[in-house]
Amino acid sequence: MLKIIFFLLFLTPICFINNMYWTVQIMLFFISFIFLLMNNFMNYWSEISYFLGCDMLSYGLVLLSLWICSLMLLASESVNKYNNYKNLFLLNIVILLLLLVLTFSSMSLFMFYLFFESSLIPTLFLILGWGYQPERLQAGVYLLFYTLLVSLPMLIGIFYVMNKTGSMNFYLMNNFMFNYDLLYFCLLCAFLVKMPMFLVHLWLPKAHVEAPVSGSMILAGIMLKLGGYGLLRVISFLQFMNLKYSFIWISISLVGGVLVSLVCLRQTDLKALIAYSSVAHMGIVLAGLLTMTYWGLCGSYTLMIAHGLCSSGLFCLANVSYERLGSRSMLINKGLLNFMPAMTLWWFLLSSANMAAPPTLNLLGEISLLNSIVSWSWISMIMLSFLSFFSAAYTLYLYSFSQHGKLFSGIYSFSGGKIREYLLMLLHWLPLNLLILKSESCMLWL
Amino acid sequence: MLFITIMIIGTLITVTSNSWLGAWMGLEINLLSFIPLLSDNNNLMSTEASLKYFLTQALASTVLLFSSILLMLKNNMNNEINESFTSMIIMSALLLKSGAAPFHFWFPNMMEGLTWMNALMLMTWQKIAPLMLISYLNIKNLLLISVILSVVIGAIGGLNQTSLRKLMAFSSINHLGWMLSSLMISESIWLIYFLFYSFLSFILTFMFNIFKLFHLNQLFSWFVSSKILKFSLFMNFLSLGGLPPFLGFLPKWLVIQQLTLCNQYFLLTLMMMSTLITLFFYLRICYSAFMLNYFENNWVMEMNMNSNNTNLYLIMTFFSIFGLFLISLFFFMF
Repeated sequence: MLKIIFFLLFLTPICFINNMYWTVQIMLFFISFIFLLMNNFMNYWSEISYFLGCDMLSYGLVLLSLWICSLMLLASESVNKYNNYKNLFLLNIVILLLLLVLTFSSMSLFMFYLFFESSLIPTLFLILGWGYQPERLQAGVYLLFYTLLVSLPMLIGIFYVMNKTGSMNFYLMNNFMFNYDLLYFCLLCAFLVKMPMFLVHLWLPKAHVEAPVSGSMILAGIMLKLGGYGLLRVISFLQFMNLKYSFIWISISLVGGVLVSLVCLRQTDLKALIAYSSVAHMGIVLAGLLTMTYWGLCGSYTLMIAHGLCSSGLFCLANVSYERLGSRSMLINKGLLNFMPAMTLWWFLLSSANMAAPPTLNLLGEISLLNSIVSWSWISMIMLSFLSFFSAAYTLYLYSFSQHGKLFSGIYSFSGGKIREYLLMLLHWLPLNLLILKSESCMLWL
Repeated sequence: MLFITIMIIGTLITVTSNSWLGAWMGLEINLLSFIPLLSDNNNLMSTEASLKYFLTQALASTVLLFSSILLMLKNNMNNEINESFTSMIIMSALLLKSGAAPFHFWFPNMMEGLTWMNALMLMTWQKIAPLMLISYLNIKNLLLISVILSVVIGAIGGLNQTSLRKLMAFSSINHLGWMLSSLMISESIWLIYFLFYSFLSFILTFMFNIFKLFHLNQLFSWFVSSKILKFSLFMNFLSLGGLPPFLGFLPKWLVIQQLTLCNQYFLLTLMMMSTLITLFFYLRICYSAFMLNYFENNWVMEMNMNSNNTNLYLIMTFFSIFGLFLISLFFFMF
């Protein structure tokens, strides 16, 4: 792992050189390919160096963060074009990536916590620095304080665990089991907010609406997965407590998922719609994860990877039309089929991925999650059926409203999609559909 | 210069003395040399501040003298404490001297009248002697109350302030709460916390001092040579707030770890939540730097630092931002 870390560290001085935007971007692609070759399908920790290492669980998420971060640079070309503090932007993203890689690959719970918290800061900078409206201040405060309010108790919980077990290593901690309610809530709540679970999800749509495209991509692509990753790690020594309390979280996230899907159906802001849809998806992930069945754990991991690619791609698409039309409103972003017919294909493909259509990884994830949740309790079938129906409904609403119908009459002139944008879409979509051919890398990590 | 030397000597006398009387003497010397430092210029505010400081500190010293004499009369000894009532009086006098919560009211008011360098001295150096003396006392209840009140008042009080000096004063009260709680556990952790706090507040006051910043609204119209520089300078605030990737997290980490070892979970939760509130007002100061694009005046105060200061300053900022990583590097090396 250390080679990745050092690579990223030595990438930071390059960020300060002028006209190095694309170099940094290519370098990030390069490191993600290197990392791709480092895969050895070990179910135990491998690539161990310093305090870092990765097993299959962290491998996928590290790869996802490398990939998404390089796509972030590809997506926010406007920062480069208008020189909107591009050096600082590059530096910020490289540091964010560094912290994320460290988060996913650290083998001790405390180090995980440290970098988990740290990755919040560059995200905050991204929203405050490169956001559009003055409301971004509020969004930043929401982001920071929702997360910190619950993660500081988690720090106390972590130290409690350390005093009891004498070790912070994930692998060693699996041998312990804690039957202590307060500890359970301390450790879990931080991840539930980060996921985000319904009722504590309010920071997410706010942050998405105010963030620039790169901020939205990293939030939907990686930051939400931090919560799921943390849950997958800590649930192993909180199993008994989870059996006692998991019904609360599962029912909140199932009912909340349906409610959030209904909220999606009345959005007029493209980004807000995608943000709420990711809350709904994360609800299923959370519910499946907390059933603690084999299907559930594997499916939640698969859907996390899939959702990271798919919603990040949708945010890119929203940004593509935002850059042309200057608005994210559905009343203005309509009839885009006339405007950019080739981009409509990508809208279609990524929307169908979002509603878990067959060849995508989302489908695999959702099927196994449905399996696990139904096996947990058959009553949840009611909510699940609503959930999957509405997820198709709002994605269709998003697709048909933005692509079909009459073109907004205020548009004066237009430019079609650029090669960069098509490449961006392809690189989101391709892994999403190819990974199903190698789905044991996602489904058989346990 | 003379007064600074005498002030330092006063603190040293207090810290090294082995009797309460000697400690009292050191505190008096320290007080009487700090006052001329405060009222150095012809500013009316600073004269008022020095008067306030004199009154409160003199009161505290008198109480300290009285109680140590009382102690001597009762125990025929003047260095050993097992008398709870007398030591409680001593403790409250010392808390008054350091400006901890139930006796904190003079502190923000006084800070308002000081120059930044004096404020820095008040926030850091002047705390050494009283905190050292508090560490000799082994009375928990009053200290616990003072810790809780300090962190809460430090957090709530700073919320509505627009004056940077008052903000720093309230943040100092909050940090003092953390320091007092670390005193309960171990002296070395207190020392570490104090050193890091001094370092971070030195960086900030140094910056405020150079650019003559006193109020929150000055920050928006203040412009260093580049926005990126301003951005990095204000990250020191997040460091002071104790957010994880920065250096300021380290002392907090140590205190939190030691407090969990002592099962002080309730106290710890209160402290962390109040620190969150302080973080909120730190963040409010940082808005002008972190929002890279905002509506600006056409005229901006452009000030140039001389290059020596800049270099020193940037190095310190580097340590305050990346210090945690460097320290962890050393930790894992050995």
